[in-house]
Amino acid sequence: MHLKRLANIASFELVRLFLTKRGLLAVITFSICWLLILRYPIAGSVSLLNSPDFAGFFDSVFGAIGLSKLLSWLAAELAVYWLIALYSFPIFCLFLCGDQIVGDKQRGTLRFLSLRATRAELLIGRFIGQVLILAILLMLTLSATLAILTYRDPALLATALPHSLLLFGYLIVSVMPFIALMSLINTFANSARLAFVFAILFFAGGNIIVGILSWQIPALGMLSFIFPGYQLDQMAGQNAEAILAIGLPLAQTAVLLLLAQRIFARSAL
Amino acid sequence: MTTLISASGLSKQFGSKLALNKVNFEISKGAPVALVGPNGAGKTTLFSLLCGYIFPSAGELSILGHAPGSSKLFGQLAALPQDAQFDPRFSIIHQLSFYGRLQGLSKAKAKQESERVLELVDLSAAAKQNPTDLSHGMRKRVAIAQALIGEPKIVMLDEATAGLDPIHARAIRELVSSLSSETTFILSSHDLTELERLCGQVLHLDQGILSEHSAQSQSQDDKRFITLQLSQSYPNVEETLQALPSVIKVYMSQAKEYVVEFDACESAFDILLLECCHAHNWQYRQLINGHTLENQIFHKN
Repeated sequence: MHLKRLANIASFELVRLFLTKRGLLAVITFSICWLLILRYPIAGSVSLLNSPDFAGFFDSVFGAIGLSKLLSWLAAELAVYWLIALYSFPIFCLFLCGDQIVGDKQRGTLRFLSLRATRAELLIGRFIGQVLILAILLMLTLSATLAILTYRDPALLATALPHSLLLFGYLIVSVMPFIALMSLINTFANSARLAFVFAILFFAGGNIIVGILSWQIPALGMLSFIFPGYQLDQMAGQNAEAILAIGLPLAQTAVLLLLAQRIFARSAL
Repeated sequence: MTTLISASGLSKQFGSKLALNKVNFEISKGAPVALVGPNGAGKTTLFSLLCGYIFPSAGELSILGHAPGSSKLFGQLAALPQDAQFDPRFSIIHQLSFYGRLQGLSKAKAKQESERVLELVDLSAAAKQNPTDLSHGMRKRVAIAQALIGEPKIVMLDEATAGLDPIHARAIRELVSSLSSETTFILSSHDLTELERLCGQVLHLDQGILSEHSAQSQSQDDKRFITLQLSQSYPNVEETLQALPSVIKVYMSQAKEYVVEFDACESAFDILLLECCHAHNWQYRQLINGHTLENQIFHKN
């Protein structure tokens, strides 16, 4: 794989999102949603979580769903951000990464590209591009959360900054298998919309099938590991081991990309 | 001569349909090569195989010693694929520069090269426009321009002039002709006159089977041919021509067009023929030394 071509393909994805009308529209929509999240749940989190009236209530609710560790965070804004980002970014990712190669395949643009870059470079380059986009969006939202936190109590920034970097690392690794899943679906779907439908079917239908199989043969419950986001519930409460929080999504990403590469290498353009 | 492309026993099957049937050919560096045949004959399939868009069901295909789709061919082989469109969200210059960078050019050089190829197809003014702002013909010319980035050794143009107005179709023909000393073009078209003007070797595909012809005048050891095109129909042309000295055979290949087969010893036969036209007051449109490409391919006499 040629690194310069990979870098060119990945950086072209950034331009696609931030310098085209459709991409900018997606960024503006995303920003408005996050402005609302930052304004209400995140900015309002401190008074709510620290309120003596609700302290007992949150202790019992967060304890029941395995999130009690979050109550010990000094930066309540980060705790709320973590919960929202951990679940919303993977879903947002399915929308955002729905058209990695499928549009170019249908339009025939891939025919121009495949005379200048290998199929593996196109696939991996675009995957890296999408990871970079998600990293930028995560950075922006995390920075905004830190700004709110610093506005409330500047002394908290020193402890919140390294913590937020750790959260960023966990979040970006968590979204990677979702992007890779969309890369795989893009190799056989006929449109971005259909790719999204396939992703929903994979999660909904797949979970039902694995549920039935594991009910018949409990050992088949292991099949749940194939679903990106399997570890999110445990990560939310900071209860996941590193192997589960980091190892599983990375392994899922590698397997999904390998499958995508195999299919793409054999498909007609 | 350097062999650029060689195919042996090349077959491609789509389900039960055999699109290419054990095709063998070699293309050497030099004059443009024509790929002709009726719709559905397998021309685009052959182009797609050469570009690595699809894979053969059987047989071997080698381009500059590499398999189609190999990274070794990037920048060496380019194509105008049929029906391929540019990304509507980016300007023409942005996309062409990106292709240039993928071919290994620096950012500045890629932009310069993109401007150069756009100038070749007379579209410098449209560089900053998006593909959706251009007409079909202009988009086609941009697609031809992308195939010329980096001066590749082989350029395949599938129906390059289809949909272009006569002025730009002629400009593209002149462009191909002017670049063919450096680049070997493979052209697919239904316009046989166009291919006749440009090409030397002709690959004719019909129902997946390939045959080779020469676009230039053909002659056999002991006999030669002249094709006479008259401007209107006249009575008894075949009989009159048949009566000329050294004529072996005359037949009407299509309306107002006659192929005269004559003895190769008669060196001044063309003069005789023109004198005959003059004597009978026949207005002739064209006198072709040999067979037309159309007659070579479609006439079974």
